[in-house]
Amino acid sequence: MAQELAHAGISWRLKLVIALALLLASTPVLMTYTMLMLSSFSKEIVTDPLLRDFEPTLENWVIFLTGQLTYAAAGLRYNVVELVASTAIVALGVALVATVSSMLAAYSLSRMDFKGRRVTLAGLILLHAFPGVAMIIGVYIIYIALGNLTGLQGSVAYTMLYVILARAALEVPMATWLFKGFFDKIPWEIEWSALVDGASRITVWRKILVPMIKPGIAAVLIFTFLAGWEEFVYLWVFLKPRGVDSLPTFIDEVVASAEYYQLTIVAAAGTFYLLPTIIFFIVTQRLLLEAYSGGLKG
Amino acid sequence: MSYSRALTLAFFLGPAMTLVILFFVLPVIVTLYASFTDLRNWNIQRGLTEFVGTYNYEILGYMAFNNPKVKYAVITTIVFVAATLFINVVGGLTLAILTFFLEERVSTGYRLLWLLPRMTPVAVYSLLWYYFFHSSDLGTLNKVLLSLGLISEPIDWKLWHLPVGTWMILVFVNGLVGVSFGMIVFYSAIKSLPWEYIAAARVDGAGNLTLVRRIILPQLRWHLVFVTVWQLLSLLTTYAHIFLLYQWGTIDRLWGQTWSLFVFTTAFLGDQRQGLAAAAATVLVAIGAVLGLITLRIMGFQRLVTRPRGEL
Repeated sequence: MAQELAHAGISWRLKLVIALALLLASTPVLMTYTMLMLSSFSKEIVTDPLLRDFEPTLENWVIFLTGQLTYAAAGLRYNVVELVASTAIVALGVALVATVSSMLAAYSLSRMDFKGRRVTLAGLILLHAFPGVAMIIGVYIIYIALGNLTGLQGSVAYTMLYVILARAALEVPMATWLFKGFFDKIPWEIEWSALVDGASRITVWRKILVPMIKPGIAAVLIFTFLAGWEEFVYLWVFLKPRGVDSLPTFIDEVVASAEYYQLTIVAAAGTFYLLPTIIFFIVTQRLLLEAYSGGLKG
Repeated sequence: MSYSRALTLAFFLGPAMTLVILFFVLPVIVTLYASFTDLRNWNIQRGLTEFVGTYNYEILGYMAFNNPKVKYAVITTIVFVAATLFINVVGGLTLAILTFFLEERVSTGYRLLWLLPRMTPVAVYSLLWYYFFHSSDLGTLNKVLLSLGLISEPIDWKLWHLPVGTWMILVFVNGLVGVSFGMIVFYSAIKSLPWEYIAAARVDGAGNLTLVRRIILPQLRWHLVFVTVWQLLSLLTTYAHIFLLYQWGTIDRLWGQTWSLFVFTTAFLGDQRQGLAAAAATVLVAIGAVLGLITLRIMGFQRLVTRPRGEL
């Protein structure tokens, strides 16, 4: 309503001016993304906004997708299946762990009154504000200590599991707030009638509430998946030293010694790596903007 | 609380609490503890038992004035945070107001576009600007300026009027990511303004500028404070993009290092002095805690935690 009223006083000419100004401001972003994607289909890296250096070829994608990348000069070998699989496993693991645990916690924070509820809610906001770089030192010390304790030190499976749990934990505060918002909107009466009939809270949660917040579950799953998918630091700190390469560490390592390598293949890897983000972006645009503002408002 | 109720609560809160305690609370305590030890090379058996008191903090304080690495990190952090914060808040506000005046579909398109940098994988996003600011004529910026005849040979941007060039890259790359936060908060706040305000203003013949200045901006003052504090916090602690640009030589190694990147590189690269890094991290935690508490107050925490209505 406010928006329509505000619009009523604006001429189409002003709207056009605004739209063009925004387009101009967005040019660097639009341009760089476009050039990266085009580079992956080009013989030379495309960095000219007029695209004069674009020479079409499918070679980069063929090399990338056939799976074996060898950089003899630097003695590096990459298995693309491994790169994609390790990135995807982390992202999926983060999405599942964060979504399930947050969905559970949010229900009790939205629907149950218990001692410490206020503190927990306040704590969740504070946690969201915590410096990740401060924690990663502690997280790494615990990783070593746990590894020594269990004798799993250096094991890839242990490292993978640890990375998933540690990275998922970072998403818990935000995801819990999102879910709490969804639970808060459900009329209490629906739940009450079931509780009066003698159902337990767990049953009510599982059978009645969870089906009602399906859009919320989808939103949080996507968010947490993308959070895990875009991660670089945890993969670099934990997995790379254990010999597990992933898409971001591959890009990092190849670019770091760019003189010797074909950057166009990195462009193909980067474009491939960007695909899930773009796809989710297009498919869930409304959800994305709403969930984001909802989550921020609490 | 009855036994079964406690069990139910444990079922719901248990998993999230375990994660939070194991990966938030414990690491912070461990970091604090490590900051009083001489932990090096992750040798925790030896390192964590060698207490050095406040030595790490003293060294840090000394280095802040005498060691270029730490000294520059402090200066860079202040400049980087202040400049990026300004761009984030003003840019976010501008985007929110401008898109508010546009048709729904166009507005959604633009807001999504500006959200994209935030959602892009860290490595890909950094890669985009690696190409953009490349020091040879391969770099987009050099290419554009060369073809416009504004420069005669490619410029190594990180060294351009050092440290200005490096700072510009830092601010630009992180500013684009941060703008979307303000945009989203401000946009949803403007959208939920009581329509009577805008109607009344329009009836009184308010033009667009008056509407923005007299009606919209005054209503957003708390959101402005919230976004500022929150972004300040994020900027103090962000380092992933900066680390990649640092490794790839897009920014200067000395002048491109912010405080949080200093923490990270000290712990994981080179000397691997985790005790010292932990002390530097603790400083960040302290600042973060204060800013976080301020945010809680601003968000009107009481309002957010009203008791559930129908507790049985």
